[in-house]
Amino acid sequence: MSCSPFAPIPAQAGIGLRSQHFREVLEAPPPVAWMETHPENYFGAGGAPLRILERIRSLYPLSFHGVGLSLGSTDRLDRDHLRKLKSLIDRFDPAFVSEHLSWSSVGGRFLNELLPLPYTEESLDHICARIDDVQTVLQRPLLIENVTRYLTWGGSTIPEGAFMAEAVRRTGCGILLDLNNVYVNAVNFHLDPFEFLDEIPSEAVGEIHLAGFDRFGRWVIDTHGEAVSQEVWGLYRWAIHRFGSRPTLIEWDTNMPPLSVLVDQAKQADAILGGCCVATP
Amino acid sequence: MWRLREMQEAFAEGMTAGNHQAVADALASDGSPLRSVALYRRLIRTNYTQVLRVTYPLLAKLVGERFFAVCARGYYARYPSTSGDLFAYGRAFPQWLLELDGPRLLVQLARVEWACHEVHQADDARGPVVERSEAEAWADPSSVRFRMNPAARLLACAVPIYRVWHALQVEIAGGGCDEGAESLPVPEETGLLVVRAAGTIQVTGLSPKQFLLLHAMRDGKTVAQVERMAAELIPADQGASLLAMLLDEPTRSAFSLEVTP
Repeated sequence: MSCSPFAPIPAQAGIGLRSQHFREVLEAPPPVAWMETHPENYFGAGGAPLRILERIRSLYPLSFHGVGLSLGSTDRLDRDHLRKLKSLIDRFDPAFVSEHLSWSSVGGRFLNELLPLPYTEESLDHICARIDDVQTVLQRPLLIENVTRYLTWGGSTIPEGAFMAEAVRRTGCGILLDLNNVYVNAVNFHLDPFEFLDEIPSEAVGEIHLAGFDRFGRWVIDTHGEAVSQEVWGLYRWAIHRFGSRPTLIEWDTNMPPLSVLVDQAKQADAILGGCCVATP
Repeated sequence: MWRLREMQEAFAEGMTAGNHQAVADALASDGSPLRSVALYRRLIRTNYTQVLRVTYPLLAKLVGERFFAVCARGYYARYPSTSGDLFAYGRAFPQWLLELDGPRLLVQLARVEWACHEVHQADDARGPVVERSEAEAWADPSSVRFRMNPAARLLACAVPIYRVWHALQVEIAGGGCDEGAESLPVPEETGLLVVRAAGTIQVTGLSPKQFLLLHAMRDGKTVAQVERMAAELIPADQGASLLAMLLDEPTRSAFSLEVTP
């Protein structure tokens, strides 16, 4: 069985851990290979969330998927946020730590949205310096995720895939490849998703995300509130052929279904990965 | 050619002050720049409204989705988020309701929900020498002080929010309420104790005398001082029940004893 070059999570499917499923996961741990969570949900000093995460960590390999660092912001890096993240990493020893290739804040004001960067030389220099800084503090490589966008910045001169590949080359970080995001951007801006994927270096892909979207007027929105679409499953088959088997996460954040639905989606991913021996904790 | 900083500032300005054209000028002409800006504005507002809805579920239930969304939108403009950690977003929501001249009941309910929110993830730590202090407290009450634990809050109430809070709990399954407390008599309610005990958040209504005593305990009074207060406030034949209250849950989970150096 092939593994990610980045961490000891098997190239099998995992699911996003959400509070709605805490009880069920603890009472009857589902047959998935690993779990991923947003570290910001555990930044509190104590209480049930941390105790639950400790129990789940004893059952599954864990991955931290950050949403609040505002990696691409031109504000100073939030050192307090980084300190809390580092503290959680030290406590739970996740196999992966990932963040988004995006920004969420400027002038001290946060917008709570993963906003795209313009793909320019200036942005590239900026994001690489920030990734270096974060990796130095965390003392481990970061996986950076491609994001959805509903705009195109003027003056972008570098294709998104090439932008990410260059960030990988300069910083040694890896890539969390979100195929739903690739698909959503392709539909919204009439792009060829394979042009983006062709730019991504195989050895850099540490993890893959799969999720669902919704339609809103002319837009396809990355809501993480539906099952993975047939189109994204198709991209996934292609990506596994292109990049090899990789740990794959079923992401679901809104309109949360029963846990069994996530587990079924993970089984579908495992079938594509060729995983006939799904780990049971 | 826009610099990265200028782009980000223009975007934030468009999202918060509604200056859509400034953002649109920074965007490429493919697609529809103004539609992009409008979509992001909607997504961002929706995200923050959802954060508040999770933090204030009872309030949202009580006032209804539409009114809650209007309040949330105004709050987003008045109290912008200053952290990527959304736990703190919503801290000033009770104050915002007050500024809106909202009914006192809503303001108070919001305060209770925020206290529950804070207590949920507060530090587990208790006083460092609880066991030893408890023994010493009764041997030398003037040498031992009360200290409120991180996972506890004492709230003054201008309106009888306790019953409202519990009534709404019934509406929301799994709200972590103290089920037995609904039947407790709460005469002249003037305060609430919110405490996390054994993993559950308990909200307890307090009579004026109970509130005064717990207030003194929160302020770090010694056991001797609280005993004197209790003697003045409570008839001798009820003193035993006061002591029982202090030693019993949920008060016991809310305070530690600390030996004065």
